[in-house]
Amino acid sequence: MTDRLRVPRVAGVVLLVALALALPVAVADRRFYAFIVGITFLHVLWTAGMNLLSGFTGLIPLMYAGLAGIGAYVTVNLVMSAGVSFWLAMPLGAVAAAVVGVVLGLPALRLRGFYFTLSSLVIQSALTLLFVYFPRFTQGDTGISQIPAPTVTLPGLGTAALTGVWFEETLAVAAMLAVLVVWRVTRSRWGAYLVAIREDDVLTEALGIDVTRFRVIAFFISSLLAGMGGAFYAHYVAFVSPRSFDVLTSLNIWLMVAFGGRGTIAGPIVGAVILAPIPYLLQDLYLYKDIIYGVLIVLVTVFLPAGVWGSLLPRLRARLGAAAPARVPGKEFV
Amino acid sequence: MDALLLIGLSVVTTGLITGAIFALVAAGVTIVYGAIWLPNAANGQFFMLGGLLVWSLVTGWGMSPLLAAALVVAASVPFALVLEKGLIRYFYDVPDRNIVYLVVTLGLAQIFAGIFSSTYGRWTDNYSLPAAWPGIVMIGPFPFPKTRLLVLSIALGLLAGLFVFLRLHRVGRALRAVFQNREAAALRGVNVRGIYRFAFVLGTLVVFAGGTLFAMAYSFDLTAAWSMAIVAFAIMIVGGPGSVLGSVVIGLVFGFTQAIVSVFANPTIATFSYLVAMLVILLVKPSGLFTR
Amino acid sequence: MTALLEARGLMKRFGGVWALRDVDLRQEATETLGMIGPNGSGKTTFINAVTGHLALDAGDVLLDGERVSGRPTHRIAQAGMVRTYQAVRVYGRFPVDENLRIASLPHYERVGRRQPLEGVEELLARLGLADKRQAPAGSLTLFEQRRLELAMRLLARPKLLMLDEPVAGLNPGEIREMIAVLKELRRTCALFVIEHTMKVIMELADRVIVLVSGEKIADGAPAAILKDDNVIRQYLGSVRAFRP
Repeated sequence: MTDRLRVPRVAGVVLLVALALALPVAVADRRFYAFIVGITFLHVLWTAGMNLLSGFTGLIPLMYAGLAGIGAYVTVNLVMSAGVSFWLAMPLGAVAAAVVGVVLGLPALRLRGFYFTLSSLVIQSALTLLFVYFPRFTQGDTGISQIPAPTVTLPGLGTAALTGVWFEETLAVAAMLAVLVVWRVTRSRWGAYLVAIREDDVLTEALGIDVTRFRVIAFFISSLLAGMGGAFYAHYVAFVSPRSFDVLTSLNIWLMVAFGGRGTIAGPIVGAVILAPIPYLLQDLYLYKDIIYGVLIVLVTVFLPAGVWGSLLPRLRARLGAAAPARVPGKEFV
Repeated sequence: MDALLLIGLSVVTTGLITGAIFALVAAGVTIVYGAIWLPNAANGQFFMLGGLLVWSLVTGWGMSPLLAAALVVAASVPFALVLEKGLIRYFYDVPDRNIVYLVVTLGLAQIFAGIFSSTYGRWTDNYSLPAAWPGIVMIGPFPFPKTRLLVLSIALGLLAGLFVFLRLHRVGRALRAVFQNREAAALRGVNVRGIYRFAFVLGTLVVFAGGTLFAMAYSFDLTAAWSMAIVAFAIMIVGGPGSVLGSVVIGLVFGFTQAIVSVFANPTIATFSYLVAMLVILLVKPSGLFTR
Repeated sequence: MTALLEARGLMKRFGGVWALRDVDLRQEATETLGMIGPNGSGKTTFINAVTGHLALDAGDVLLDGERVSGRPTHRIAQAGMVRTYQAVRVYGRFPVDENLRIASLPHYERVGRRQPLEGVEELLARLGLADKRQAPAGSLTLFEQRRLELAMRLLARPKLLMLDEPVAGLNPGEIREMIAVLKELRRTCALFVIEHTMKVIMELADRVIVLVSGEKIADGAPAAILKDDNVIRQYLGSVRAFRP
């Protein structure tokens, strides 16, 4: 890390945090835009988790949305059937997603590249089927509606539902925490190992690094964030159905990561901020959301494998006269 | 007793037809994967496109189903050629292209899914064709729609033709040589890129044929596309990527599984069992059952 | 005295073919062992098996008297047996420095210190890579990559370095230099070398094992091996026939 980059970086982060916290307040009167802001924060959280796997370990987890679904359904059931507080149910849901992710992912982790991705696709399909065919917990294709907003008890002020701008602020904080976690992990020794594993797992293992262990850790954190996002999503949107967590959702989160730039911290945020609002902003074009995202997947793969931010970053560094990056972002897919 | 026999017969015929169509689609997928390393996640959408186009031609233009099917299958050739030229061939030399292709074709699948739901999906959610060959044949005391008999014979005929082509024809053998060892095939003077293009066209054509046959035999809805894509992958992985024989055998096994399960329980259990079978094979023997 | 490396009755079958058949072997900490044999005789399988890349059908591997067979690769590497590959393996897209940093991390994690690149300066000077530290590893010449590979392995603090054809792809001049590097390396750790190039084996090895069709057919000093009738008939004869 060079000194010349440190100042603009810190300034950028401070500005971004301030902006993220101010935005919900600025649009608080227009619920529609506030909702889009909230959804975008959720996707920032999700892309951070996906990036940890897809960007830093090179695995493309297409069951990501399924894990988010597990987080969502566990939380919603605990809250709505068992009367558990959201703030207890949400972590439980996230842990459930992480455990399922690790249990399902552990055998698949022995597979590499394509075979891993294919088995993750299979797992996603199986999870979707389970969501549809266990209506006791999911109400099947009908979906669960009227999911209550979490409640907050403040000493001296009584209990209130977390709604409106407060919910968006909460999502902003959750998203920032997720990014912070991923940043910490990837800047640590673990992060160096993860990147090394992405580049060449055989070599990394031969150097005495426990490849499986670090993959599992990455998997756990990533699945945890997926589940946490799912729980927040369910209670924010107040409606979930198996469609909310199908393979296209996984693919779209992956697209946001890839579009922004895999293996960078800012890239997935850029991707989420640009792409997540599209289906809501272009409401008349909602039907064409799949087409737009699909076209983008193809275009990014063909023309911009490093992503928007990933392509910009080296130029930015060069302009600021910083040294070459120690880690080269975004190896294609492997 | 008769009821039991009737169920048995229905299992056999449904199993055969479903299995043959599964086998056809999986054969198309496995040919493309075996040659190019292209796991086409959009195969289900191609399958659906075939079925929907036939449906349009028949219900919109009053064409006969057989003629419509023939036209659609023929049209799949230029369709595949354009796709190959515009997209597929850019990744022929990428070392880990199977994963690049998986992502790209998932994107393609999403595009097609979006197109279908924003066009066809607005009109109706269930598509069925008039019988291609109206009437009933009696198999012993049991009635059997002639159209399904026709579909079954065409599907089996196509599979047989595919086998003969791959074993005997010069191009088919070159294709098999590329399956086995592309470097060796290139050294022996096989035009590998030409074979890639040919494999993509042939595979796409076979998948389209599967879609049109399916549309003739059964009514269908748009969700069939994703199920077909997953089932075709499952068959390919279990049977062994690149093995047409594996696709046919496992396709029939899966078809019968589907038919049997449907009698007693929700057919989704069958789909679930394919997924589990695929996962197990992926973990135990990723090269599949029918390849060394 | 316990041997540094001891293999007892190693067995490995691929389908119907024996890749390793009842292979016994001892290496003392003070000696450099060479292994020769025709293509497909099981040399690389031997390295794969003792370093945990491959599960053995039967047999035990002991490192410093401690059983390591059955352990995963990274544990065996941590125990002190580290290998290279026939095809050079470095993190091609990372600068040399980053390659070295990653390679040195596991050791420093074990000893609980925070200075991963300590001693690297001198190591790079020894290996002639001092002016390449910022270059992406993939942009180096093959010879440079081979030396980087050695540097990375040394940072893992091996007791025993298993080298799978360390001069493959190098030209005669580079081979001479590589032999000099390896000779010096013998002072740091024990070496086990697989080679086709007899010159390398003759100059480096104190003792040579000959493997043919997965079986050990000879074990002795290099000069004695060259005169062994059995070895000449089964292996060297064919080599001479190809390289008069």
